[in-house]
Amino acid sequence: MSLKRFSTFTILSYIIIAVLFYFIAGDSLHRSIYYSEMVSLKSTCGEIVRGSEIKQNFTVENDSLEALIIMGATYDRVNDDVLEFKVKDETGAVLATSQLATNELENGGDWLITLSNSVDDVKGQTLTLSVTSQKGTPGNAVTFCYGDSYPVAKYTMPIQIADSDRLTFNGTPMDGILCMSVVSGDWHSFGTYYWQIVLIFGLVLASYLLYCLHQEKRSRRYFGDVFLSAFNRYRFLIKTLVSRDFKTKYKRSVLGIFWSFLNPLLTMLVLYFVFSTLFVSGVENYPVYLLSGLICWNFFSEATTMCLQSITGNAALITKVYVPKYIYPFSRALSSLINFFLAFIPLFVVMVITKVPFKVEFLLLLFGIACLFLFSLGIGMILASAMVFFRDTQFLWGVVSMLWMYLTPIFYMDEIIPPQWMTLYKMNPLYHIIRVFRIILLDGVSPEPKAYLLCILATLIPLLLGLLIFKRTQDKFVLYL
Amino acid sequence: MKQENSVIHAENLSVCFHMTYDKILSVKEYVVQMLQKKVKYEDFWALQDINFDICHGEVVGIVGKNGAGKSTLLKVISGILKPTTGNVFVNGNVVPMLELGSGFDFELNGRENIFLNGAVLGYSEEFLKRKFDEIVSFSELGKFIDVPLRNYSSGMVARLAFSIASVVEPDILIVDEILSVGDAEFQIKSGKRMQELMSGGTTVLLVSHSVDQIRELCDRAIWLEHGTLKMIGNVNEVCDHYCNP
Repeated sequence: MSLKRFSTFTILSYIIIAVLFYFIAGDSLHRSIYYSEMVSLKSTCGEIVRGSEIKQNFTVENDSLEALIIMGATYDRVNDDVLEFKVKDETGAVLATSQLATNELENGGDWLITLSNSVDDVKGQTLTLSVTSQKGTPGNAVTFCYGDSYPVAKYTMPIQIADSDRLTFNGTPMDGILCMSVVSGDWHSFGTYYWQIVLIFGLVLASYLLYCLHQEKRSRRYFGDVFLSAFNRYRFLIKTLVSRDFKTKYKRSVLGIFWSFLNPLLTMLVLYFVFSTLFVSGVENYPVYLLSGLICWNFFSEATTMCLQSITGNAALITKVYVPKYIYPFSRALSSLINFFLAFIPLFVVMVITKVPFKVEFLLLLFGIACLFLFSLGIGMILASAMVFFRDTQFLWGVVSMLWMYLTPIFYMDEIIPPQWMTLYKMNPLYHIIRVFRIILLDGVSPEPKAYLLCILATLIPLLLGLLIFKRTQDKFVLYL
Repeated sequence: MKQENSVIHAENLSVCFHMTYDKILSVKEYVVQMLQKKVKYEDFWALQDINFDICHGEVVGIVGKNGAGKSTLLKVISGILKPTTGNVFVNGNVVPMLELGSGFDFELNGRENIFLNGAVLGYSEEFLKRKFDEIVSFSELGKFIDVPLRNYSSGMVARLAFSIASVVEPDILIVDEILSVGDAEFQIKSGKRMQELMSGGTTVLLVSHSVDQIRELCDRAIWLEHGTLKMIGNVNEVCDHYCNP
C-alpha cells in the first residue's frame, strides 16, 4: 500500500467513522437518561377524587428532570377522569405541569407522565409533586401505589423513611413513598462540542499525513515510515501465521471450527444453571449478560495465553530468521480475534431466543472489540517478554488470570461489591470494556462519553506499557531462547 | 572505509555475551542466587573487532574451529543478534537457509507449509504462487504435497525444506553447514542447485567445517579464531594457512 493510498484511506475512514458515530451514538453524546428505582408495591393510597390532593417529595439526582413514571391502579375499570400534575420547588413555585387522561391507563402499569417542559438545573434539589383530580368521583377514579421497600433479587430490603419524604394524601402522611421513578438527565459538553473536537483531530491527522507525503516526495524519512513499510513487507507473513494458528487449533477434532461456537455456549449453560439457582441475580436478561461477559473474558484469556507462548514457542525461528519480533504476539492475538468474532454467533442466537431487539447501535460494539483487542495485545506483549526471561510466568499467569476473572463482573453483578472497594475495583480495565459491551447489547444504547474515555484510557495505558517493555527487551530475547 | 559496491560491511564489530554458569530461568532461582550473591556474570567476547567488506556476487566461506564465532557472525549479519559495539551494514534482503524443518508446522500439509515457510523467509505471496509448481516438482513429493507433514519421512521433509529455501534469488544467502539431504540422487541434484545459486550473482556466506567444500565453492574466505579475524583473502591462501598453521 502506498502512502498516498494509505492517507486517502485514513482520512476517508476518519470522516465516515466520525459521521456514523455521531448518528449512531446520537442522543447519548448529549445527555444520559437515568431512571431512579421504584419502591415495591405494598398498597394503594385510595381513590383520587375531586378535591383530594396527593403530595410526594422527591430528589433529582441529575441535572434535569425529564419525566416521571408512576405505578397506579384503575380498579380494573375505565375511569373517565383527568389527573393534574404540578412539580414545585422548595419555595412553592410551579416548575412544570402535566395532565393525564385516565381512560386508557393500564391497571397496575407504569404510567408515564410527560412534563410540559423539562426542568433544568435541579441537581440535588428536593421537589414536590402534587396531584389533583379534575372530575373524579368515588367509583370513577384511579389510585397510586406506594411501598416502603426496594426489591433486591428475590428479596426485598425495607427502607427508613423520613417524615418529610412520606406520601401524603389530603395532608395525611401514609406509611410509605409513592411507587415513582424519576427520569432525570445529565448533559454532556462533549456532545455540544462534538464537531469541533472532530474537526481539530481531523486537522491534526491531515497535517501529519501531509507532512509524511511531503517528506516522502523528497525521499526523506518521517515519523511512522517504518510502520508502513513493515505493514507492506510482513502483511503476507501475518496472514499466513494467523491462518496457521487457526487451521491447527481444531485440527484432528471432529467438530472442528464448531468448537468456537460451542465452547462459549456450553460454558454459559453451565454457569447459567449454577448461578441462576445458587445466587439469584437482579439482571433482567441473565443469559445475555453472562454470555457477553464470558466471550470477552474468553478472548482476553485466550489471546494473552497465546501471546505468552509466542516468543518461546517460536524460538527455532527467532534464532534463525530475522522477523520483527512483535509479529509473533500480534499474529497470535489476531487469530484469537477471529475466534472472538465466531463467538458472537452463539451470543446473537441467545439474544434472538431471549428476544433482545437488534439495533443499529450494535455497530458501536466495534469500538469495544478494538479496545479489548489492543488491551489484550498490550498485556500479551508484557507476558511474552516476561516469559522469555522467567519461564515461571506461564504458571503464575494461570493463577493471576483466575484471580482476575473473579475480579471482573462476568457472572455476577458489580453491585455486590461493597461501595468502599468500588474505586479500587474500577481500576480493572476489563471492567470498563465489558461494561461498554453490556450497555450496547442489553440496553441497546450508546454508553455515555465518559465510558468511551475510560475505555480508551484502559486500553492505551496497558498497550503503551506493553509496547515499551517489548521494545526495550526484544534485543535480548535471542540470548535467552 | 566502506567500499562502493559492498553489500556487507562490518566495522569494528564486537559481540559480548554475559555468561552465567547456570542460565537462570525462574524468579525463584534468581532471587535465591541474588540473596546468596551468586549471580556472577562473566563477559565472553564471541566476536572482537571484526572488519571486512563483502562485495556483490561474492561467495565467501567462513572457516574456524568450534566456538570461533562463525554462527554468531552469521546471526549478526542476518539481524538476529545486535552487535554490542561496532556496526554492520547490510544492503539487500538476507535469506538464511534454515535448518531442516525449523519453519514447518507438522500439522499442516505440504502445500500450506510452502506458504508458511516461504512467508517466514520473507517471500511475497505472488512470488510463492508463481514458484509453487517449481518447488513441488523439485521436491519430488508428488501427491504427498496434500498430506500433513507429520506423515512425511524425514527425507521428504528435508527435500521440501531444501526446495523452498533454494527457490529464491535473494541478495544475500546465508548457509550454515551445507545441506546434503535425501538420497544420493537428490544430493547430486541439490548440490547442482546450490552451485547454480552461487554462480547466479547472489552473494553467499557459507559456513562449513569441510575445507574441501569451501575451496570448491568459494572465491574468498574468512578465518575466525576465538572471536577475532585471523585472516581474510583468497580462498586457497586462507585455507592453506588454516590447515597448516
